[in-house]
Amino acid sequence: MESLVVTQAINVAYEVLILAALVLGLAVVMGLLNVLNIAHGEFVMLGSYTAYLVQKAGLPYLAAVPAAAVVCGAIGVVVERFLIRPLRYDPFETLLATWGLGLLLRKLVELGFGRGYRSVDIPISGSINIFGEAYPTYRLVLMVVSAVVLVALFVWYLRAPTGARIRAMVGNPVLAEAVGIRTRQLARNTFVAGTAWAGVAGVMIAPLTPVEPFMGLTLIVNSFFALVVGGMGTVTGLFAGSAIIGGLQSVLTAAVSPTTAYLAMLVLSILFLWQRPRGLFPRP
Amino acid sequence: MTQALFEIDRLSGGYGSGLVVRDVSLAVGRGEAVCLLGRNGVGKSTLVKLACGVLRPAGGTVTIAGREITGRPPSDNLGAGLTYCPQERVVFDDLTVAENLTLMRDNRRLDAFDRFFEVFPRLSERRRQHAGTLSGGEKKLLSFVRGLAEGANMVVIDEPTEGVQFENVVRMADLIQSHKQAGMSFLVVEQNLTLVERVADRIVIMDHGDVVHSGAAADMARDEILSYLTV
Repeated sequence: MESLVVTQAINVAYEVLILAALVLGLAVVMGLLNVLNIAHGEFVMLGSYTAYLVQKAGLPYLAAVPAAAVVCGAIGVVVERFLIRPLRYDPFETLLATWGLGLLLRKLVELGFGRGYRSVDIPISGSINIFGEAYPTYRLVLMVVSAVVLVALFVWYLRAPTGARIRAMVGNPVLAEAVGIRTRQLARNTFVAGTAWAGVAGVMIAPLTPVEPFMGLTLIVNSFFALVVGGMGTVTGLFAGSAIIGGLQSVLTAAVSPTTAYLAMLVLSILFLWQRPRGLFPRP
Repeated sequence: MTQALFEIDRLSGGYGSGLVVRDVSLAVGRGEAVCLLGRNGVGKSTLVKLACGVLRPAGGTVTIAGREITGRPPSDNLGAGLTYCPQERVVFDDLTVAENLTLMRDNRRLDAFDRFFEVFPRLSERRRQHAGTLSGGEKKLLSFVRGLAEGANMVVIDEPTEGVQFENVVRMADLIQSHKQAGMSFLVVEQNLTLVERVADRIVIMDHGDVVHSGAAADMARDEILSYLTV
């Protein structure tokens, strides 16, 4: 019984941290730019395919991290310039446009790789003993990487000059321009950072999930649930949403079934959209 | 007027396709303060928004030190020597007072602001406070200090004294005067005659989107100015 509790606790922590890592890019773009990038899951999918290709080419798995960031970042540059910016970052228009973009990316990948699953070998094998329970090393590494990245981002956002300038741009774009912030450039960089990070998240999860063109659909739904519950535009909201949705999913999947877990997340999200549409910790 | 630093030449524009400002020209010399007056809704704020790149002009030109900046984004203008303090939403509410002041600086040291904190100690007391929690008058003071501290040659300020206590209006006027002596130029949109009478070298009065009077401040009595400001 005790071992079950330990394993389940680590599983919950894993689900929460991985979901937070997956939501991060979406949260940055949605919370700071008001663009709900429906194609976010497809950028994660492209990151996973990049990892697959890097491994197939016999390169070290770590090489997939910069490769995915460059691939997804470059696509992000093109998307921002020719899709998001012409639509003036309008929330509804960009939502529709990125929905179409997601469709396009899925079909392009399907064209190149087919619909079949691709598997990526786990780059770090073996397990580590935690409180007497063996837990896969790679999962633990992912948890540590996610936690470090999230905390580093949190500190950077609150303390670094660029973090303050992003907050300034989001809160008051006219004044931000007046004090010399190039808001167009900063918005582009923020969008590209979101897509590049989605690619890196794709590399992280690729060995643990079947890599296929439609994998992004599930990811975007869970990420969206986390944003709805946590609230948009704050790091606290990102953590809270990921903790609630990731924790709920992990516990109910283990205790009841994946279907029940999904249903519970759906009901919770509907309740939040109905009663508290800005989530628990929205931007003031 | 001394040699012109900032020139607006036959500037027209407004919101969407509607023209609010029509063929307005004015110039500000080096070390000079020009006060732009007029009743509410006559186009004063629109004119400075057009001049500072917040709105795209339909016609005309804007130059600073002989360099044309017409229609350029405001973020480019600071490099050209132009600072703009808007009338509304004058501070970054989500940032602290200190962050508002040091946002574009290489470090967060506040030493450079000591001379302003001596004049407005309230800002120093509240430097760790979010700017959104300040009163309307305090926000105006913060915006004013930010504008002066940026060190641009030309400062455009829209209604700086709205909600500001009388003694602080006088202090603002003293600061403008001392900065003028150091060579800084000002275009101030204002309704408060306390400030206007203390700083203005020239007065420009607008009505219905056009300039209806322009002249030396010394030549205009308070009653004459008031006659333009009342319906």
